[in-house]
Amino acid sequence: MIKIFIIIFSVYFAPCVFSAVSAPCGDYGECDDYSYDLYNNESLQKGLATYINYCYGCHSLKYSRWGRIAADLEIPEEILFENLIFNQETKPGDLMTGSMIKRNAEEWFGVAPPDLTLVTRSHSPEWVYTYLRTFYEDDSKQYGVNNLVYPGAAMPNVLSHLQGKQILGCKEVPVIASNGGVKRDENRNDITEEKCGYLQIKESGELTQAGFDDLIYDLTNFLVYVGEPAKRDRERIGWYVIFFFIIFTALSSLLYREYQKDYH
Amino acid sequence: MNTVFKWFNDRLPIVNTFERHLSKHPVPKKVNFWYLFGALASVVLVIQIISGIWLMMPYQNTEEGAFSSIEFIMRDVDYGWVIRYMHTTGASMFFAVVYLHMFRGLLYGSYKKPRELVWIFGMTIYLVMMAEGFLGYVLPYGQMSYWGAQVIISLFGAIPYIGESLEVWVRGDYYISGSTVSRFFALHVVALPLMLIALVFMHLVALHEVGAGNPEGIDIEEHLDEDGVPLDSVPFFPYKVLNALVGIGVFMTVFSIIMFFFPEAGGYFIEKANFEEANPLSTPEHIAPVWYYSPYYAMLRAVPDKLGGLIVMAGAIAILFVVPWLDRSKVNSIRYKGIFSKIAISLFAISFLTLGYLGTVPVTELRTLMSVICTAIYFLFFFLMPIYTSLETTKQPPKRL
Repeated sequence: MIKIFIIIFSVYFAPCVFSAVSAPCGDYGECDDYSYDLYNNESLQKGLATYINYCYGCHSLKYSRWGRIAADLEIPEEILFENLIFNQETKPGDLMTGSMIKRNAEEWFGVAPPDLTLVTRSHSPEWVYTYLRTFYEDDSKQYGVNNLVYPGAAMPNVLSHLQGKQILGCKEVPVIASNGGVKRDENRNDITEEKCGYLQIKESGELTQAGFDDLIYDLTNFLVYVGEPAKRDRERIGWYVIFFFIIFTALSSLLYREYQKDYH
Repeated sequence: MNTVFKWFNDRLPIVNTFERHLSKHPVPKKVNFWYLFGALASVVLVIQIISGIWLMMPYQNTEEGAFSSIEFIMRDVDYGWVIRYMHTTGASMFFAVVYLHMFRGLLYGSYKKPRELVWIFGMTIYLVMMAEGFLGYVLPYGQMSYWGAQVIISLFGAIPYIGESLEVWVRGDYYISGSTVSRFFALHVVALPLMLIALVFMHLVALHEVGAGNPEGIDIEEHLDEDGVPLDSVPFFPYKVLNALVGIGVFMTVFSIIMFFFPEAGGYFIEKANFEEANPLSTPEHIAPVWYYSPYYAMLRAVPDKLGGLIVMAGAIAILFVVPWLDRSKVNSIRYKGIFSKIAISLFAISFLTLGYLGTVPVTELRTLMSVICTAIYFLFFFLMPIYTSLETTKQPPKRL
């Protein structure tokens, strides 16, 4: 029976070529690699600071509460209130609803800036990490910038003074043969062609490229945290639960074997 | 027997029921792992009911409150995330074990005489589960809740004459809104679970009346000992209960791995778009149902006409109900059926899995063609069943287990 199934399965699937789904990071293609580290509180704290200073003016985190973040990231509440909360009436238990009025926002940007509490879950950490680093100068847009990952994004590049200005440029890239390898001439040199649509720094900013990548790393890390604050607990508790069920399985199978002796 | 217990037992059939359905209920002594999925399904049903009750407490069944109350559960309710992930993982695992349970039925002819009613109750459970799952998926009121509901409810609109009014009646509004959420909530937490529990009860009552099957597809009642107990049987309690316990242990380990480490299951258990609140003004780029409906969604998309697609989809489920009368084979189990049955069920399984995949990805011409082919194979498996099961040569099953 199983043999028949396997034969039919392989014959059937041989001609099935599934076409590729559109690239996850838009015009950029594959997103850049990103691996979060929720145990790195320093990174999460820096990410929070960046968020509050550059993003929170427009993007709320309305499902999250100030006090929870302070507790999870081990920020003493006085420091939080002195440095990150600008509204004196805010209490630790309050939701981070932002300060922009929706009607104004729609007037200024065309659409109200979305709440970002869940952005790493509705997209992915890789997407956010790549998106924030792929703004480029584009005079046809309202704010003079466009984005490779999300073309037509209605957002100004608020971090441009840190990153510098990027433009889309052209460069020589190796020609790829149909078999996936690099094409070479008779002297075994790579054949190249000019392709456009690559990001290039036109004017450098306050940070080096690596420094800016680190800043976005921390910011994305914070957004991963805020997307699911229970994630650290979840993975920690998970090990205990799995361990419990492994023991449960072992014991019940020993007991079952003992009882099986009655009729074998 | 102590007097308190005796007092109760004189007024309630405690000992009788325990003996009849557990300690003296004979079940085949030799079955394989395929026979565990029924027990696992009942475990998941309990998980869903308990986690569901807890979710109901903080959940808000309003247009404004639904999405944010889910995030409230995930963040502010103590261990709310455990309860919620238990319920979302449970939903998918429920379908996983039920699909395997149904496939077991097809493999070993569990639907054949005298178990037709067991099969029909089971199929009704599956049907109610599909409705239950759909209604539940709308409640978090994310983008996929909204647009998924939009697609499914608009199917009613394809029915001639009454379609449009039916759509409005189902939604309780001219578009999906708070009224839809609150009525779906009522159905999801009260009406359908009551039906499910009643149907599961009937499924088990009917099963205990005719006795459980076995992978050899033979009748153990034919060889009895002097007390009238089948020779190849063991009492359900404690033997099968312990057997099930091992299965439950393995299953719960897998369940916990998913629940604690991969609760979204790569977007198959919780879709990414559902982390955005429902927005009637912005359609997601790609609307896909959760994996357990995707085979039928692929069938729906394979037919260019909406009403036609609806009929095909409904037919695909309806035809499962009559399987007991389509299978004309002399034997029950696939082990002793002929080569045609083996090829047919393999093709069927592959087509169903392929349809499942196709239902989750965007359409292309090739994929539509494949959906059409797989849908055809799906139906031919059933339509041709009376022919290939009666024509083929079968092997003689053994007399005893």
